[in-house]
Amino acid sequence: MSTEAVPFKVADLSLAEFGRKEIRLAEHEMPGLMAVRAEFARSQPLRGARITGSLHMTIQTAVLIETLVALGAQVRWASCNIFSTQDHAAAAVAVGPDGTPEDPKGIPVFAWKGETLPEYWWCTEQALTWPGQPGPNMLLDDGGDATLLVHKGAEFEAVGSVPDAADDDPEEWRVVLAVLRASLADSPGKWTAVAAEIKGITEETTTGVHRLYEMAKAGTLKFPAINVNDSVTKSKFDNKYGCRHSLVDGINRATDVLIGGKVAMICGYGDVGKGCAESLRGQGARVIVTEIDPICALQAAMDGFQVARLEDVVATADIFVTATGNYNIITAEHMSKMKHQAIVGNIGHFDNEIDMAGLARLPGIRRTNIKPQVDEWTFADGHSVIILSEGRLLNLGNATGHPSFVMSNSFTNQVIAQIELFTRGEEYPLGVHVLPKHLDEKVARLHLDALGVRLTTLTKEQANYIGVPVEGPYKPDHYRY
Amino acid sequence: MSAPSASSPQPAQAVPPQAMPAQSTPSQVADPGQAAAGLARIGWAEHAMPVLGLIRDSFEQQQPFAGLAVAACLHVTAETAVLVNLITAGGGRLHLAASNPLSTQDDIAAALAAEPGVTVFARSGVDRRAYYEHIHRALDAAPRLVIDDGCDLVNTLHAERTELLAGVRGGCESTTTGVARLRRMAAEGTLAFPMVAADASRTRRMFDNFYGTGQSVIDGILRATNTLLAGQVVVVAGYGPCGRGIAERARGLGAQVIVTEVDPVRALGALMQGFRVLPMAQAAPLGQVFITATGSRDVIGPGHVAAMRDGAILANAGHFDVEIDVRALAELSAAVHPAVRPHADEYLLDDGRRLILLAEGRVVNLVAAEGNPASVMDLSFAVQALALAWLAGEGGEGRDGRGGPDGQMSSLEPGVHEVPAEIDTQIATLALASRGAGIDALTPVQQEYLDSWRQGS
Repeated sequence: MSTEAVPFKVADLSLAEFGRKEIRLAEHEMPGLMAVRAEFARSQPLRGARITGSLHMTIQTAVLIETLVALGAQVRWASCNIFSTQDHAAAAVAVGPDGTPEDPKGIPVFAWKGETLPEYWWCTEQALTWPGQPGPNMLLDDGGDATLLVHKGAEFEAVGSVPDAADDDPEEWRVVLAVLRASLADSPGKWTAVAAEIKGITEETTTGVHRLYEMAKAGTLKFPAINVNDSVTKSKFDNKYGCRHSLVDGINRATDVLIGGKVAMICGYGDVGKGCAESLRGQGARVIVTEIDPICALQAAMDGFQVARLEDVVATADIFVTATGNYNIITAEHMSKMKHQAIVGNIGHFDNEIDMAGLARLPGIRRTNIKPQVDEWTFADGHSVIILSEGRLLNLGNATGHPSFVMSNSFTNQVIAQIELFTRGEEYPLGVHVLPKHLDEKVARLHLDALGVRLTTLTKEQANYIGVPVEGPYKPDHYRY
Repeated sequence: MSAPSASSPQPAQAVPPQAMPAQSTPSQVADPGQAAAGLARIGWAEHAMPVLGLIRDSFEQQQPFAGLAVAACLHVTAETAVLVNLITAGGGRLHLAASNPLSTQDDIAAALAAEPGVTVFARSGVDRRAYYEHIHRALDAAPRLVIDDGCDLVNTLHAERTELLAGVRGGCESTTTGVARLRRMAAEGTLAFPMVAADASRTRRMFDNFYGTGQSVIDGILRATNTLLAGQVVVVAGYGPCGRGIAERARGLGAQVIVTEVDPVRALGALMQGFRVLPMAQAAPLGQVFITATGSRDVIGPGHVAAMRDGAILANAGHFDVEIDVRALAELSAAVHPAVRPHADEYLLDDGRRLILLAEGRVVNLVAAEGNPASVMDLSFAVQALALAWLAGEGGEGRDGRGGPDGQMSSLEPGVHEVPAEIDTQIATLALASRGAGIDALTPVQQEYLDSWRQGS
């Protein structure tokens, strides 16, 4: 992949008008972001911020990007998944509200639906490369790929070389190493300089947050991070309510099977798994949960779900969904034992929850593409399974991800976290932080009016009685909601 | 007493043509001193039964049962008392026996026995002999109308009191089980008078079976065992309206529900609703709570019991105590510890497993809880009340000059009759009104559109 500088790269600029119409509709469904725009329009707290974003390039993300711009930031963007870009959203962001496809005036975005892995990492690198600047001074990450590239680049620059991939390394890691190898040859010291500029990173998702805590623990984290994922108004809403909506949407769009009466396995009963289980049950499926954590397993049982081991029920279920954040959850061997045309999909962040490589290596396996993001894999014995989005998160690959309202909660946290790190960085030392509770409550507050919620206000006496300020925060930090 | 309307039967002036052994027996209740307590609970139930209240107002005006003897075999509960009072308010004399040896609420029996126009033969905990004795005493009044719940009264009439049959104008039956017995009698040609199948009205099915039984069976199990249903595997046998209600409520409490069925259509319905469907033989080792709601017998038999987990709870929601094979359970047991809690008997199997049988296998929502909530019984009893008034009135144009309040039999043929659709509509309308809900009415244009076959796409 060429490293030649281009202002942006999207699939088709002529889609911009359609994207702009959808952005306009989404803005109405994202009251938190619009309220933040109104609140900070004058003070411009992100003036001087150069934000590199690596996050699914969807319509909702377009509203986030334009909110960051409205608060004074400069922004460059890539998607964080090869399938999750909505091309009309990317086009609209590149063209901008005031530009035209002939004269684009938007922000540099590098994203299209159906990137190859080399293309994907090229896009990530482009978003991190600021012409005439040493690099971004803020990262907004989803899954930690931008963070990883900066950290690994700086790490390899420090030792002066990029290691060779091991035989059992996944394909994607080979691509990352290739990108960094080219970068070290081309512009040595680039990532060290980038890392030095960055004031902080805000991370969107469980998987990325997990990486950040690992890095902090290992002492390799190079700048402070805000864990946006664990804001209550993010994880409890986006993960649960968002997936509850978009899982079924994705399965329906991909397969149009009647879910009522089917047996569905949900691997993982965290926030995402809880939303998935509820939505499939709501459609009339009988849901079986797998868990490794006794607390989550007990929760599933108390919610009335059968909790089983995958190998014990793999031959009886019709729909399999992974939501663990772990890898090798559904193996090739599992898939070989499934019912004919069982549907297998993943709603976890990465594509390693389902062992696609192992599936592809099975002797005699045959892949038939049914339609985009829907493949039938036929085993040597003639029976087959349907894989959604090649094992990547199906709610984005097969549908349109979380709906705007849910994302408004998540992204309002992102914007507030960016403001916090950029303007009050001294209060966030190196490490991983969560947003203080009063900001979490603020995000929720910004979404109440749109739903017609009439909030009750504590009297002074009541506030004193339970020992909280009238205006909040109302719960201790350890409260679990 | 106000003047009856034109459509109502005339108050009885003539005595029945046949010389009936109409010697009513005085009430037989456990403790007349409990009447005050019963009265208070009847008042409570009245508040929750607004539809019966509205019907009562109209009965007081129209006196549809003026001078008529009505024999009823019903669960003697506060809700039943509201129905009883409504019939006496409509001019009837009511003779009440219990429809279950365990379900009688003695305070209610006492309160009713103190009411004018009512005699009661009911005590909780009677044996089989006393149970039928009570039914005979209610029949002693030579009833013109009957209300039955399980068909024991109608059965007794046909089997042992045939001398009374000619005087019976008709009646209604409130349970599915009882209606099934009536249909068998009608098929054999032995049913001597018209019976309205009050179990089968739309309001009854919806409210009583699905909502009422669904909630109260769970209530009975909780009261009897205090078990936490969340996380437990609950096996519901039968996915009719009762079974569906039970399954939904159990799931709502966090149970994992398995359904067993014999009817493929119903089984498919359960499956599509997201329930696991298994034969009982496969469900037996999985379940922690078993609830039968089939109307059939031996649904849980010795083979199932032998496979069950230690501590499994067995409850029956069906009308009769034959759904769980209690005798087989006893035979498999090394010991029985009765009443480890009220309405919970522990059966100790040879290998040390304990199974908990609730309410001796009798209908658990009535024995261990309070039966259907009053607001549900409001609708069921409204069907009975209006069906009975319909029987009392419709027959006025009857055929052979016998049996009615004015000496006439019903114009209806002997046999099982459906609840007239107008009664269902009337009840639903009253129920909506009592809940403050308004609905739309078809416009003439809409009505014409719906009636026409000419307008297409």
